[in-house]
Amino acid sequence: MNRLPLRGLPRAALCIGVGLVLAGPAVRAVDDTENLQQELRRTREELSATRDALERLSERVEAMEAASVEAPPEPTPVATATARIAPVNADNPAVSVVVDTAFAQDARHSYESIGYPNGADFSLKGAELFISAPIDPFLRGYASLSGSSDEGFDIEEAALITTALPWNLTVKAGRFFADVGRLSHWHDEALPFVDRPPSIDRLIGGESGSEGVEVSWLAPIDPYLELTAGVYDTVGAEYLEDLNDNGFFGRRDFDELTVLARPHTYLDLTDTLNAELGGTWFGQPRDHARNLWAVDLTVRHQPGTSGVYQGLVIGSEWLWNQQLFVQRDPMGVVVGRIRHDRTGGYAYAEAFFSRRYSLGTRFDYSESPDLVNDLARTASAFVTWMPSEFQRLRFQLDTSWGDQRSNQRYTLQWTAFIGSHSHGFAQR
Amino acid sequence: MALPSASPHRILSCIACALWLALAATPAAAVLRVVASTPDVADITSQIGGERVSVMTIAEGSQDPHKVPVKPSFVTKLNRADALVVQGLNLEHAFVPALLEAARNARILPGAVGYIDASLYVKPLEVPSSQSRVQGELHPLGNPHYNLDPEQGLPMARAIAEGLERVDPAGADAYRAGLARFSQLLERKISEWKTLAAPLRGLKVVSYHRDLPYLASRYGLEIVGTIEVKPGIPATPGHLQELLATMEREKVKVIIREISYDPGLARSLAERTGAQVAEISALAGGLGAPGYIGSLEANLRALLAAAQAGSSG
Repeated sequence: MNRLPLRGLPRAALCIGVGLVLAGPAVRAVDDTENLQQELRRTREELSATRDALERLSERVEAMEAASVEAPPEPTPVATATARIAPVNADNPAVSVVVDTAFAQDARHSYESIGYPNGADFSLKGAELFISAPIDPFLRGYASLSGSSDEGFDIEEAALITTALPWNLTVKAGRFFADVGRLSHWHDEALPFVDRPPSIDRLIGGESGSEGVEVSWLAPIDPYLELTAGVYDTVGAEYLEDLNDNGFFGRRDFDELTVLARPHTYLDLTDTLNAELGGTWFGQPRDHARNLWAVDLTVRHQPGTSGVYQGLVIGSEWLWNQQLFVQRDPMGVVVGRIRHDRTGGYAYAEAFFSRRYSLGTRFDYSESPDLVNDLARTASAFVTWMPSEFQRLRFQLDTSWGDQRSNQRYTLQWTAFIGSHSHGFAQR
Repeated sequence: MALPSASPHRILSCIACALWLALAATPAAAVLRVVASTPDVADITSQIGGERVSVMTIAEGSQDPHKVPVKPSFVTKLNRADALVVQGLNLEHAFVPALLEAARNARILPGAVGYIDASLYVKPLEVPSSQSRVQGELHPLGNPHYNLDPEQGLPMARAIAEGLERVDPAGADAYRAGLARFSQLLERKISEWKTLAAPLRGLKVVSYHRDLPYLASRYGLEIVGTIEVKPGIPATPGHLQELLATMEREKVKVIIREISYDPGLARSLAERTGAQVAEISALAGGLGAPGYIGSLEANLRALLAAAQAGSSG
């Protein structure tokens, strides 16, 4: 009997069994790897598809963004116009109101002759309604109606200005501030100080208010040169008021009218430094009743920096006034005539800081046009803060001395602009 | 020896000769005298117009376009100009209307042939729905700082070229060629900048003035605040405290200061938050780079440098 095969069978079966037992996990491992590889492939494919979809989506979004910015405007009036111009209703011109209010106190004594009364007061320095619009292609019109605590309601200006005359000519007519010097034709709220310099107030008679006609010519050359000539009832707000209050409403002989001439030039000294120089003469021909000569000089440093210091303005005007005064007795009868030669002027410097602040100082020398022994000198310091372009707080301290007792005065001024307020190039 | 006497006839002849020589020696004048309100539109006009135009610019690159001084010397230039090119959307409200009032030149008044508005084909962003000044100094026609977005250079150039052609029809071919040349150059740069600007996408920034919506939209910047309280309204202490809190919450890494604005506030905020300050110019040439395209690139590189420093800091 051959027992070997029989003896070897269980052994072989055992070997196969052990082999199968040992080989089982290896077979499963091969399957798992394949599965994982397949899953990885699928995931990669899905990821790639997602990435492609994202890229397509991103490109579409970018294209939509670009299209939304690049596309020319829809066929509205803009597409056929040559410019985008802010809409203006022809029936409703630019309107603005300025509210200019102040508190002032004289610390010692009054200095009445330069408008510094004794004591303390709140005042509405001015509430000005300003209206401006083109009238037609050849004419522009504007009006400034003002009311204040001191002077009540008044039409400060109401004038027409040509816009299309040839040869660089412009004609202005109506009631307006005549082109005298620099600050005398600025509105109160546009001044760099809380008050008009006493010298201008006294010798010109407040702002250069007038009723008349003015022609100006801009020389067609590279340097700026403008010549102005005018004829008026009179020049000076106080004189105009007197004239219109006397019952004749300003009517008078031709040689009693006031005539004016003013050359005005400007030079860029460097890129950041410039100067303006002007001269003015106005007079009343009959009896040479009034002759006023004035020179004005303004130097500006405008560095255009973004730092703390942002610029400096130095301005000065000097006036010589020769005027004939009628002397009357207490009954109003003319008893004589007297001619006075008086002078006055101011100089100021204002430095600008950090877009919101400015700090300045002014010295003013003024003689009364008619009174004897009424010289006033005023030294002032002022600081201005503008919380925005449309409101301003200013504090000014004045010390006055001269033929009256010395006086200290401080004023706090608060000014705000409602609407589109701009007096334009002349009050830059 | 006596000098020969100078008769009046001889003197007049000499003067006439001198005048003739002076006139003859004067180089041929350019066809169009153009005044441009900003360096951006000035450069594009020069590139399109070439030798057919002589361009004078009012605002300088380093200036705040809202506060350009009104100088009488600009009046004489405007008086004799054949065309005025403006960036438009009321950007120049602080100086162009006052200058035009004094310039006595009806040819360049708004709506006239010589008034060239570069914004004509730009689609404005942030057009206000109300004009209340509670919202600050709003521009009624929309945000006017579109020039900072390179893509807007193309519609700007188109409007300028068409304007020049309107004023000077004889030069139409030259202006069209100039437009094609400029547009090609700008498009090539835009393509380069698109790749270069990739790191800016999603970057949270604070700017000084609200003048970045076009630029932000182009490069994907996220503006989380401005140093100004509202457009044109300077910062207050309370607003700065709120801005600091916002910057910390939003993890703002870059403050963008337009060079015409106060460097102190941006620096102070940067010191307190660890953010980087990127100095850009709202008008061409402010950073010293030449021309409109050069300025756009200088701005982009300043942003990239700050973004990189902010992310590594």
